[in-house]
Amino acid sequence: MPAALDQLQVLEVGSGVAAAYGAKLLADLGAQVIKVEPPGGGDATRARGPFPGDVPHPEKSGLFLYLNANKRGITLDLTRPRGREVLERLAARADLLVHDVHPREMAGRGLDYERLSAMHPALVMTSIAPFGLGGPHAGYRGPDVVTWSAGGVAALNGEPTRPDLPPLKAFGDQSSFQAGLNAAIGSLGALFARLATGRGEHVEVCTQECLAAILELTFEFWPYCGLLASRLGAKPIQPLCFMECRDGWIFLCCVEEHQWKCLVDIMGKPEWASMELFADRLSRGANFDALQGFLQEWCREQSVHELYEAAQRRRVPLAPVSTMGDLLASPHLRARGFFAAIEHPVAGAVTVPGAPYKLSATPWTLRAPAPCLGQHTAEVLAEIGLDAAALAREAVV
Amino acid sequence: MAGRAPLAGVRVADFTWVWAGPFCTLQLAHLGAEVIRVETATRPCVTRLLPPFADFEPGPNRSGYFNQYNQGKKSIALDLKRPEAIEAAQRLCAASDVVVENFAAGVMERMGLGWEVLRRLRADLIMIALSGYGATGPDSDKVSYGPAQVPLSGMSSVTGYRGFPPMHVGISYGDPTGGLHGAVAVLAALLHRARTGQGQYIDLSQWETSMAVLPEAICGWTMNGAAPERDGNRDAHMAPHGVFRAAGEDRWVALAVEDDAAWTRFAAAIGRPELASDPRWATAAARKQSEDELEEIVTAWTGARSPEEATATLQAAGVAAFTAATNRDLAEDPHLNARGFFVELPHPVVGTRKHVGVPWRMSESDCRVRGAAPCLGADTEQVLRDVCGYGAAEITRLREARALV
Repeated sequence: MPAALDQLQVLEVGSGVAAAYGAKLLADLGAQVIKVEPPGGGDATRARGPFPGDVPHPEKSGLFLYLNANKRGITLDLTRPRGREVLERLAARADLLVHDVHPREMAGRGLDYERLSAMHPALVMTSIAPFGLGGPHAGYRGPDVVTWSAGGVAALNGEPTRPDLPPLKAFGDQSSFQAGLNAAIGSLGALFARLATGRGEHVEVCTQECLAAILELTFEFWPYCGLLASRLGAKPIQPLCFMECRDGWIFLCCVEEHQWKCLVDIMGKPEWASMELFADRLSRGANFDALQGFLQEWCREQSVHELYEAAQRRRVPLAPVSTMGDLLASPHLRARGFFAAIEHPVAGAVTVPGAPYKLSATPWTLRAPAPCLGQHTAEVLAEIGLDAAALAREAVV
Repeated sequence: MAGRAPLAGVRVADFTWVWAGPFCTLQLAHLGAEVIRVETATRPCVTRLLPPFADFEPGPNRSGYFNQYNQGKKSIALDLKRPEAIEAAQRLCAASDVVVENFAAGVMERMGLGWEVLRRLRADLIMIALSGYGATGPDSDKVSYGPAQVPLSGMSSVTGYRGFPPMHVGISYGDPTGGLHGAVAVLAALLHRARTGQGQYIDLSQWETSMAVLPEAICGWTMNGAAPERDGNRDAHMAPHGVFRAAGEDRWVALAVEDDAAWTRFAAAIGRPELASDPRWATAAARKQSEDELEEIVTAWTGARSPEEATATLQAAGVAAFTAATNRDLAEDPHLNARGFFVELPHPVVGTRKHVGVPWRMSESDCRVRGAAPCLGADTEQVLRDVCGYGAAEITRLREARALV
């Protein structure tokens, strides 16, 4: 079958998750991606892991192997003028250059849109920066915990009864995944525009803004009502809560009254459930202290899976608190073929998340494992008429 | 810039609901697609019925939740329980490039709006279903709500304070993550169609898109049979790394010392340069070893100043830091305001309110929020006339059949 983006040539200058995920989304739909890494240690995620047996190895990082499958990889020292010249020549035959080099370092790495565009007007260049390229905070640094906080998400998460505990971030570098998704959308938008205009353009993605854009209903509480959203506010509706079962955790989710009635049935209509305190979803919210005790006492005797299935049979949207083991063992995910097996020459067999969507005519594909550091340097440079060995003598690759 | 909109001339029939689907079509509206939301007053979108309502006064056109995520779209009122409305919806789909829906599995088919019907009405149609579990597989008929996606995806089992139960992440994170992945898939399909003329059907499972952003935890399991333990805001490689108490009531500042050079800068910035050469703190490994004590040193400094002052001092020294911003902090953020991130466009019912705009900028194309969110059914007549091809008498007949509510 054809791939949706197999005509697309992408150059990625990424270190970490953001540009790498943005380019991965395109690579997995067929784009030809060349990833540029600095000589020496390469991409920062090569040092992050997880690693088999917890032993660090630059070719065995699960995060790197996941993010960079389907790409070719070259090394290039962009701090040297000769390295920047090579980058220009590679950019000249690319449709898209996506990077997450910090704005303070862009010019020094040859990531100057005006210059690249003058040479190659059809180039789309997408720059991802934690606080964007302009504005009073554009020079600020921001790994995930900082941008997740700056974008307003951290302040929404905490334990309402424990104001001494800080706003809590989500697991993993979620800020960068969100930035990468927005970068892919902006880039594809620019490529679509290019069909009509023939011209490329500069797309700028601001991570702080990507996060401020996903605050659900909380942001508007200020402009609409003058109210602060807080992690300490009790939920107005209950049960929407985590409960411990005898073999794991479940998330109780009864938004509508009929869903609560079904759960009461499943619990065997205990006497406490008919108390006035719990008459409707708002009173269950207001009296959650009391409700929580009753629910926990019952749930502790249940099996997660049985309760989940019993609730779902009644169309009540309970969900298990999946462990990683649960995900890998799920018959549903197996039937859909979600997890993908990578065979890597150094790391061996690695199972990673697979297709996030199924396109009927142009499916997501896994075609090649992530590149070893500099694996395709000679091959790619030969394509533009350069000799990698000569550049290696100059310590450029 | 005031060039051409990337998706000018692309029409999207939007049958979505709540947050994931509307967030997907919002991205297409930002890029200039004509997004037409199909709604009904007999069962309005949940987000029209949820607060915040402008000035606390409820009403289907007064919700900040709906008005945020439906900016720049049109709204047509069709009661899809009426056969006349189904015919109008089919005409809308036949005149659209993209159909987006996030009903439970099988609902579109039962209404006569399934892929097999619509593809015959328009050969090059692109259709995407954003469901909780996906369109196939033994769990495909399970029901999924936004808040339950976070635990289902595995995210909750690795998010939380050390020694505490699994936790949420503060938002129904599977919804925007699913919606953005959906927009990527639609744009790729549009590019493919522009080249080949071929449409297609896209099956998106929010569960799967949520796992696509959890590779560190998933690979930890597949490689070693072990998942990361819940560890608050800490990081395996960086220390200090967290959200720390600042001066003021419930005020916090996030900071991360990314490497040993940053630690030297941090020590100087907080007036404790001797910490940089102290072997107890000089390396990341040493700092990880005594992280509780390390965090006391950090809190002693952050606790004595506002998060804004701590941010300014640390960022000036090249150390990553920022206030744990509230919604008010964001609305008043000088940087975001200077960048023109917020949008204030007139809405006929709630007036001019501050909304969040587009998180990316395009130097040539016209990419922006094109208008306030529509009132329910605001564009019914225009869409029936100009898109579906109904005459005035037919529209009256539809109205009399109560199909347009």
